Amino acid sequence: MYGSVSLRQLFPLLALLLGGFFIPMFTNEYYLYLGNVLMMYAVLAIGLDILMGWAGQFAFAHTAFFGLGCYTTALLNIKFGIPFIVGMPIAALLAGAVGVLVAIPATRMRDIYLALATFAFAEGMFWVFNTWEPVTGGSTGLRIISSNVLGFKVSNDVTAFPVSMSLMCLMIAAAMYLSKSRLGREMSAIRDSEHVAMSCGIDVRRTKVIAFGISAIYAGVAGAMFTLAQSFASPEQFGFNTAILVLTMIVVGGMGTLPGVMIGVLILSMLPEVLRTTMRSFQIWQELVYGLILILSIMFMPRGIWGSISGHLKKRELPSKNAKSI
Amino acid sequence: MSSMALYQSIASGIVSGCVYALVALSVVLIFKASDVVNFAGGEFVMLGAYAGLGALTFLEVPYGLAYVIAALALFFIGATFNKVVLDSVLKRAKHGQRTLVAMVIATLGLSYVIKGGVRLFSFTEEVRRLPSAFSGPPIFIGPVVLQWQDIAIVSISLALMLALYIFFQKTLTGKVLRATSQNPRAAALIGIPVQLMQLYSWGLACAIAGVSGVLIGAKLPISPDFGGPIMLLAFAAAIIGGFTSLPGVVIGGILLGIIQNLVGITISSTAIAVTPFVVIMLVLVFRPQGLLGGRHRIKKV
Repeated sequence: MYGSVSLRQLFPLLALLLGGFFIPMFTNEYYLYLGNVLMMYAVLAIGLDILMGWAGQFAFAHTAFFGLGCYTTALLNIKFGIPFIVGMPIAALLAGAVGVLVAIPATRMRDIYLALATFAFAEGMFWVFNTWEPVTGGSTGLRIISSNVLGFKVSNDVTAFPVSMSLMCLMIAAAMYLSKSRLGREMSAIRDSEHVAMSCGIDVRRTKVIAFGISAIYAGVAGAMFTLAQSFASPEQFGFNTAILVLTMIVVGGMGTLPGVMIGVLILSMLPEVLRTTMRSFQIWQELVYGLILILSIMFMPRGIWGSISGHLKKRELPSKNAKSI
Repeated sequence: MSSMALYQSIASGIVSGCVYALVALSVVLIFKASDVVNFAGGEFVMLGAYAGLGALTFLEVPYGLAYVIAALALFFIGATFNKVVLDSVLKRAKHGQRTLVAMVIATLGLSYVIKGGVRLFSFTEEVRRLPSAFSGPPIFIGPVVLQWQDIAIVSISLALMLALYIFFQKTLTGKVLRATSQNPRAAALIGIPVQLMQLYSWGLACAIAGVSGVLIGAKLPISPDFGGPIMLLAFAAAIIGGFTSLPGVVIGGILLGIIQNLVGITISSTAIAVTPFVVIMLVLVFRPQGLLGGRHRIKKV
């Protein structure tokens, strides 16, 4: 299981990447819009999963970094004309740096205190996005101008699609390598038992801080991806509801597993579209259906869809079970 | 800033603080009883406000009965959620597995279901307000002007807190509930039906939230979305108080109400909204056990 990522595992990514350049020729703009949204959520959800599913830190601050990434990329572009290829890494690194700053006090807390502190931080950032009108445009929102990616003008769903796809494949590949790396395994060890991890010589606090930083970088990249296809950013998109949506994705799909997260992203980012076209009063049903999905999936599939599938396919021993019997 | 404005804002801070304290009590009761942080707390308040409003407008009951109806309805809902959802989550969790994330997600799901469910009634499309229970000319205490409504809120909250105190300290059921929350396993060993007690705690906590909904509904406009901010304030109040100490939570709530109003008159009115988050972060970073919390207990894994 450990070791490096094999070429066979990377093959689907290469296929996706190629698809990113050819699909826009054949499909209509609506599907490309859905695809862009889906890919942005995929990066966002993988980032949250690295922190929650791998390192086991229950933190709510993810949408704050998402918003930070989006506003930074957009503002660098609007105010200074900095192209996407430079602005995106700056935004991601800024998000990562703020993530590390938040993590330093936050990793002293655990469980529910961590959740509440990061929740408060995210709401505080939301307030900043909402009230700092001269910069973010406040609650009226920020108009995003078209970005310049390697000389190409990216302004709509068609042109954004290949760029989003490349970024998503890059971030997935990075997550795959991370999961095989020493750092990734240290994170999983912390999730399973902090005490055992500490006694194995893992610097628990340092690893947690790094996990926060990486997770925030993912959110920052997702924020930058937001600026590609969307023409408008308003604070609501980086608020509590988005945080819950991303949380739902990884819980319903299967926390801690890449395929699970992708399943969750696929189902839950398409769900609003399905509901929009089938139900009349959209908002009511969206809330009801979301709520029911959350409750039912946590009741009947505590390890998510992927966890249930893979549990049925191969009845392998759970790592946590092994740890218990020692 | 004149000292009159200062006194006035402290007085109205105490009024809203009392309601925050009630909601925070509901959150903390649930946390103590079943280790669940209830993210649907604000929605219980909202539901309580609508239950009271519905009882007043459709059944045309006297005002006092509206509190009872809201409390009973919420008791039933809270107990049902505990029985149907949380017990099932606990049952499926493997022994010793941490259920924190699962429980929080279940309550988040519940909050969405309640919001969506309330929106199904077209009655809730308009923003409404409960009629004020007590009217009359405002009274003056020194430089401070108080409405009868405010006095009613404070006295009902304080009466409820006193009743809770007596219930937990003096009655057998209250003592059993406390024992269950302190150590469920030991409680089970001496023959306390732990699950039933958790059911009662959930019901009781939700009933408190319901009553505070009726109280606050007379001051704030009610809409299906108005629970969210209240829940944040309740979390902040609970964290100031240490999250497990009931008297601490009451003090935390009142302090928070005062702090918020002082921020409003000294800094700016937009900063009021961000106060609870700043308070949560500051308290968690510098005094995680809260103002009245004892030494920080470390739970063994």
